[in-house]
Amino acid sequence: MFKYIIKRILISILILVGVSFVLYALLRCMPTDFVEQKILNLYQAGATTSDEFIQQMYKTYGLDGTIIEGYFKWLGSALHLDFGKSFINQRPVLSEIFDKDRMGTSFFVAAVATVFEFLIAIPLGITAATHQYSLRDYIITILVLVGISLPSFFFGQVLKDIFANKLGWFPVSGMKTAGITYDNAWEAFTDYARHMFIPILTVVILSIGARMRMTRTNMLEVLNSDYIRTARAKGLSENRVIYKHAFRNTMIPLVTSLAGLIPSLFSGAMITETVFDLEGIGKYALNAMTQGDIPVIMTYNMFLAALSVMGILLSDLMYAVVDPRVKLA
Amino acid sequence: MSERHYLTGKEIRQIAKDNAKEMRLLEKNKNRKCKEEEFLSTMNDPNNILEVEDLHSYFYTDQGVVKAVNGVSFSIPINSTIGVVGESGCGKSVTAMSIMRLLQGPSGQIKSGSIRFRANDFKRDTLGNYIPIYELDDSGNILKETITDKKGNTIVVDKVKKDESGLPLYEREEKVYDIAKMPIKEMYRVRGRQIAMVFQEPMTSLNPVFTIGNQLDEASMLHIPNITKELAKKRSIHMLDMVGIASPERIYDAFPHELSGGMRQRVMIAMALVAEPRLIIADEPTTALDVTIQAQILDLFNDLKKRINGSILLITHDLGVIAEMADYVIVMYAGRVIEQGTATEIYNNPCHPYTIGLQKSKPTMDSTKDELYNIKGNVPNPIDMPNYCYFKERCDKCINKCSGDYPKMVKISDTHFVACHLFEEKENE
Repeated sequence: MFKYIIKRILISILILVGVSFVLYALLRCMPTDFVEQKILNLYQAGATTSDEFIQQMYKTYGLDGTIIEGYFKWLGSALHLDFGKSFINQRPVLSEIFDKDRMGTSFFVAAVATVFEFLIAIPLGITAATHQYSLRDYIITILVLVGISLPSFFFGQVLKDIFANKLGWFPVSGMKTAGITYDNAWEAFTDYARHMFIPILTVVILSIGARMRMTRTNMLEVLNSDYIRTARAKGLSENRVIYKHAFRNTMIPLVTSLAGLIPSLFSGAMITETVFDLEGIGKYALNAMTQGDIPVIMTYNMFLAALSVMGILLSDLMYAVVDPRVKLA
Repeated sequence: MSERHYLTGKEIRQIAKDNAKEMRLLEKNKNRKCKEEEFLSTMNDPNNILEVEDLHSYFYTDQGVVKAVNGVSFSIPINSTIGVVGESGCGKSVTAMSIMRLLQGPSGQIKSGSIRFRANDFKRDTLGNYIPIYELDDSGNILKETITDKKGNTIVVDKVKKDESGLPLYEREEKVYDIAKMPIKEMYRVRGRQIAMVFQEPMTSLNPVFTIGNQLDEASMLHIPNITKELAKKRSIHMLDMVGIASPERIYDAFPHELSGGMRQRVMIAMALVAEPRLIIADEPTTALDVTIQAQILDLFNDLKKRINGSILLITHDLGVIAEMADYVIVMYAGRVIEQGTATEIYNNPCHPYTIGLQKSKPTMDSTKDELYNIKGNVPNPIDMPNYCYFKERCDKCINKCSGDYPKMVKISDTHFVACHLFEEKENE
């Protein structure tokens, strides 16, 4: 087991190096880089620039060499845990990305949404499966299909329009009511929660679909298996059959997929955060992306890549925990 | 029968509509709440433990109604082994599933017929609780005993009779249930407790995520009132020992995937025996096992039948197994019983051309022919059954009358019946 984990971690490091190269190459191939944008802005402001000035600019940002050169320069400093400074505001990338508020906001939205996603999707999936082809099944399936199909920028706006503009129950956007001072921590929290409600609702509704479909398919497969027939023949009540015998088997792929969710907890919901003007990591990364801020995007994506690789390893380990048939070697 | 091999859109919609209507009705009936009186019945013959009469089990598919069991009647006497034979798809398993009410709904349903089973169920008072047996003194008064209750108070209660493991005994009574009419919720009275089933596929019939012990204990906990975890474990280990598993304590903690096929089938049998059922339905219990293990499992069944004092319904397509095990044999073809009789009668004097064919199909060592015998043709399309004898197209002894109605059961001897026109003629003479 220990040997297996060490082996997997070593392989993971190789994967991460590969990912970093592909990422860097792609970023350098983007149509307009950071320097070009900056010079464009200068032109628009009426300034004139010389070729030398432009070369100088490329040099300062470290974009003067070939992709290979640039990559090894990045890798060299990354190995010394120096991830550089953001092109946009010249602050160290690490403290920018792992900013407590920024990461905290995204994590809060994602964690709460994931909890609700599982709490809602799993019971829905089970009911749909146990009442296959009934009216209940069709209604649930159609509703979640609508949820899967809606794009988040559109659905977010719709919810915002209904709950914030028309009904006025929740604030339109932002993270706290402007110019408010809190008397105690509870007030601060409720204000925060009120602002987070619609974004979380959006994320939950959009993500329920896939999870519910997965639960339903798994459950149906399990319910048709021989050991469920054995359990029924034993005289168990239908509830015991479903919630003891079938549920444990349905949970196997669900629990393992939970480990695979780790990166999504920290990645932030780019579009939802932008729509609701939340200062999360997703919005920050999207901004960096559009401006070609290579150090930020590299670090952000490498962080997610590391989390993904870890998530996959963890979900493989989870298999051994929940399924007695799986032995890791 | 139409010459087309497809269904028009109109026909498909009509089938779907009819099926939906029928299935909804039957499902509703299955899930209804009703009083016990509604599914109580009486046996035609008090020597029988199970009587199946005119059973129709249908599958409502998109191509039409598959009449998998189409009017089957037979009965199982106390302390006997009944063998059901027939080729694949003849309705043997569906009959067994119908008795356990395990047909996969909503498409699989018992359309009509009755399955009367004599159960030895717990007696219930008006509230539905079991009635304990009290110990009486010589003059017939209930003995008293003092016990300490959960709060530590000493109280005087009626003394309840207990078995050797210290579990209270309850009054039991003989009841005849019509299983076909029982709501599915009431089936807990029968499943596992009165009728147990051993399935064909030992490899997949045990839940892979629970230990053998867990799955065995579950059955004890369910069917034996007031049993404790420790007693259930003791009982499970005893059962494992009884079905011939070496080192039962180790197997108790094992997961199904750690056992071989033969071991798993033994575990399945142990699980079936936990509640001491009156009838064991064995649905091709040895088909998935190799020959040496087959013999062991069959020996085990023979041995157990004597010990538990019950009956066995053995479903198989292997005539050798039937010869070894069964007292009575039922031969099924295309959802109907075509011949039934004692094992000797079916062996020495098979009457129906299909039974004769089946016997000839059995490979033997002394046959000098290169090719094995087989019955030509196929089972008719189960959706569109003809009105005449289902075997007519494959039969080599057809007479004019065979194009007429489906043949009635003809009596050959007191125990031997056959559904064939050949013998109807003889009987009339």
